[in-house]
Amino acid sequence: MQRNRPPSAQTIRVLRALAADPARWRYGYDLATEVRLKSGSLYPILVRLADRGLLDTSWEPGPASRPPRHLYRLTPAGREFAAALTAARAGRTVPHPHGRWSEA
Amino acid sequence: MPLVSILMMCLLGIGIAMFRRSPQAFLDGPAEDMPTRLLRWAACLLSRQRHDWGQAMLGELGHLDGRIRRLRFTLGCLIAVLLLPPWGRAAAGVWAMIAVAVGSVGLYASVAIRYGLGAGDWVAAAILVVFLAGYLLAASALLRRPGVAIPGLLGGLFVALAWLAMKGFTFYGVIGTIPTMREKLVLVIGVPLAVGAAGTLRSRDPVIGRRVARLAAISAGLGLYFYATLAVAVLGAGGPPADTGWTVRYIISDRLGTNLVDLLLTTLVTATVGWAGAAAARLRPSSPAPALPGPVIPAASPDPRQEA
Repeated sequence: MQRNRPPSAQTIRVLRALAADPARWRYGYDLATEVRLKSGSLYPILVRLADRGLLDTSWEPGPASRPPRHLYRLTPAGREFAAALTAARAGRTVPHPHGRWSEA
Repeated sequence: MPLVSILMMCLLGIGIAMFRRSPQAFLDGPAEDMPTRLLRWAACLLSRQRHDWGQAMLGELGHLDGRIRRLRFTLGCLIAVLLLPPWGRAAAGVWAMIAVAVGSVGLYASVAIRYGLGAGDWVAAAILVVFLAGYLLAASALLRRPGVAIPGLLGGLFVALAWLAMKGFTFYGVIGTIPTMREKLVLVIGVPLAVGAAGTLRSRDPVIGRRVARLAAISAGLGLYFYATLAVAVLGAGGPPADTGWTVRYIISDRLGTNLVDLLLTTLVTATVGWAGAAAARLRPSSPAPALPGPVIPAASPDPRQEA
């Protein structure tokens, strides 16, 4: 049976934070601090968003002694979804992206 | 005295294993701090398709300062790694072990309530829960390693069946049988050695062989503990005669305590001797495992933050 759960409140917070400045690349820790999520909650959300094609990722080379850092921002589909989410919440219905939230 | 000897041998074995794994780190101490080592270990548990996410966590940790901040970030990531799907077949093994562990705790609690055991037995129950949680954590890590789950669980079944066969597959035997020296040699040395060696021979990799031995030890320990607790629940103070003057409550408490000690000893001994078997069966020097690809950073690309 396929479940089609709406995104969680934490996921919505992450989407909104990313959608606030959709062109800007974000660091994981900064994002976690902004939306007040622990890394244990943030990373599964980011993984699910990336699996669903809503999140774009990139690597930033680190300085000599530090490792490369992962960066995140919404894809065009992610921006559409975040916008639809905002609009739908005003109308009290939550849009569902293409697949299951639980599949990631 | 034999108990102390076994524990000393196990500690010696663990020391040798740590030295063999990384002689430099063993002598000089770790080069990285604890959060980095912990997260590096956890990242290895992720499936191949999630490898980049482990690197992402490590990369982020590499830019964090402050011990507490780094530790909190690492602990969060550790939880994420342990829960992050896909688990594949490992999920079935983990659920089976959780069922056995929860069943064991439930049996223990039911016996403790039924016979009105004292505070000491409830403290032992709390210790049991902590140990079982550790067992499940270790099992979940091992089950997700490639090539370990099926041989490890089969090895555990083999170890458990060997112990039960010696005890005659009866509840009475589980509580009352004291193995002879020959049986002890077979169960404590022969069977774990065979499991560890089989793990290495099958995979042609002593690292996998050692993991197989550890998973076999954990699964066998859990299974035998469940069976022994079930035996206490069924027989109560009946079965093999106890020392004269012992009350029913004392007999039950003693049997539950013995089961707990057996759980720890069986696991420790099987894992240690199995490790030795895996190492001894090494056919050739281990070739380094194929390195997982690191994060792909386009050489010519500008800073991604400036793209937008």
